[in-house]
Amino acid sequence: MATSRSLLRFPLRLIGPAMLFLHFFSIVFSANPAFAASRPDTLKIGVLAPLSGPYAAGGTSFVQAAKLAVEQVNAEGGVFGQPVTIVVGDTQGRVDVAKAEALRLVSREKVAALVGAYLSEETVGAMEVAAAQRTVLLVPVAATAEITDKVRKEYARYRYIFRVGYSLPQWAEMIGAFLSDRKVRRYAFVGAGIRWNRELGETLDRLVAPRGITPAYTAYYSPGNPAFDTVAVAAAAASPDIVILADPGRNSVSFLKRLREVAPALPALSVGGALGDVRLAASVPLSAPVYVQAAAWRGVSPAATAYVERYERRYGAPPVGYSDTLPYDAVMVLAAAWRKAGSAASEAVVPVLEHGTFAGAAGHYRFDTAHQAIWGTEPGALRGTFVRWERGGARIVFPLR
Amino acid sequence: MAAGMALILGVVKVINLSHGAFFTLGAYVAYALAERGVGTPLAAASLAAVIAFAFGVFLGKSFVNPVRSHPFALPVGTLACALLFEQAAQMVWGPHPLSIEADAPWIGPGGLVVRRWGVIAFLSSATLLGGLQWILSARPGLPLRLIAEDEEIAGSLGMDVETIRYLTFGGACAMAAAAGALLSPSGAVTPTMGRAPLLLSLVVVIVAGMDSVPTIFLLSIGLGIFGNACAWFLSPQWSYIALLAAVCLLLSARPEGIVALSGRRD
Repeated sequence: MATSRSLLRFPLRLIGPAMLFLHFFSIVFSANPAFAASRPDTLKIGVLAPLSGPYAAGGTSFVQAAKLAVEQVNAEGGVFGQPVTIVVGDTQGRVDVAKAEALRLVSREKVAALVGAYLSEETVGAMEVAAAQRTVLLVPVAATAEITDKVRKEYARYRYIFRVGYSLPQWAEMIGAFLSDRKVRRYAFVGAGIRWNRELGETLDRLVAPRGITPAYTAYYSPGNPAFDTVAVAAAAASPDIVILADPGRNSVSFLKRLREVAPALPALSVGGALGDVRLAASVPLSAPVYVQAAAWRGVSPAATAYVERYERRYGAPPVGYSDTLPYDAVMVLAAAWRKAGSAASEAVVPVLEHGTFAGAAGHYRFDTAHQAIWGTEPGALRGTFVRWERGGARIVFPLR
Repeated sequence: MAAGMALILGVVKVINLSHGAFFTLGAYVAYALAERGVGTPLAAASLAAVIAFAFGVFLGKSFVNPVRSHPFALPVGTLACALLFEQAAQMVWGPHPLSIEADAPWIGPGGLVVRRWGVIAFLSSATLLGGLQWILSARPGLPLRLIAEDEEIAGSLGMDVETIRYLTFGGACAMAAAAGALLSPSGAVTPTMGRAPLLLSLVVVIVAGMDSVPTIFLLSIGLGIFGNACAWFLSPQWSYIALLAAVCLLLSARPEGIVALSGRRD
């Protein structure tokens, strides 16, 4: 009898620990985002951007714009009636961290697609993860040719990668058209000595040569200790019609101040970035034209104006038109592709992205066979815009619509 | 900035990796004042120095003094303080570059460009370093010299070594902040802007040696001219590499620093 009672008591004793065990797991499952992500009530986009380190300024704008786009998508009813959310991975401007964060977002956070990264080097690392995990990756700003070259050469592996932003040849083509419009014959090209700048400078030299436009001076300074005074004096001494400033960061402001001191009447063109910021532009001497290239600007189109106004309302200052506008458009393109595909599955979304047209703040996006968005001067291409800073704001000068 | 770092190295005997953060603090103070219509660099430098002195004294008393017996903890700790400040600056002012409008320069004969902020920064730093040199060579600087030579003897003579240490730390931080405020119109103000000056200051202090303020002053100017000459005659991208290579060569030849080269150091 005693034996049967103890046998009965044993399972009864298990009930308490079992309840505790179940309770513990219910807490863990509901709190852990990885488990929460498996619920199909939200669609997640992984955003890769540097939120710390030397590129934090660009990375923050990047994430702000992506958040704004998600808010817009959700205001339009979400995708398949589900809200869209973003999960951010801080890449810190480092390739290894970008790869680790991309893997975390895909495998643990269960994101349906990735948007990013910021630097070309980071993006090349992240695209390896996206290809291995068969996850769609939209590249907003990284411009290196390596991204689309890989899609072209190894389509089966890299077919999930699409670049929304402009490639270096497209960038150079748009700058060349602007230089022709301004009747520039000789230009100085100045930028930080990084691979991206050299590629842009060399491509521009090659593309504008047939138009009779030649480089008068080319210099790449060390980002660690940029010898701005020397470069500004040498650039001015070469007597160019314009100085092209290929530095999207804070150094562009420092250099422009030096340039204005030694050559107050020499026009300058920033290829985008910090000098698109109205707060910075206000401190730069405007004794000669300061032009900035951007993907979109207020007044270019109703969509661009609506985006700029939303951004300004949300963050207190207008976007710079590049590292914020292109991530915004990447999220809008992705959401539109999901809707058209009727699914967020990568295999369903890729053909839709390959053959569809998608609206964004900068215009209508189409992708070529290398999954590069079509920018440039051809009819139907996204054209970007060039603005000139004036006291009180910027005026669109090219292309005039 | 380099003189402040040398002061900390000499008296407190620590490598202060948060020195660049105080430079950044000075630049943000100048920006905040310029936003409110106070564009005088000297006012910005004075206010920045006061704020940085208070922060420096707090840091020196609460962290540097108690931890300085652990040689590896201090560089790591001061680096952590610098990163903490960068994050705080990012939260307060945002990660985006900010900029202060610089006055138009005066163009002299032969196209010579004279910047107002440059003249003020040069004269201010020369005055500051002159004052520091006077203090160190005169009676008021005796405790600093004695502590730098031998702390135990200074303590046995009744000097409050701990207090002098954290006051020196605060004073050096004030010098870095003043430098940041004076140079802020030259470029953009960002949370990480203090990193490059920190590295250059370390280079100057190590190469010049910690004992001679005039050598620090002259070497700072010399390295600036050398970097620009390399940029002009070689390539702008080589200026930094050439500068660091020259420093490595100099140190491999004279690890004691340049002052020993001239025979002023035993």
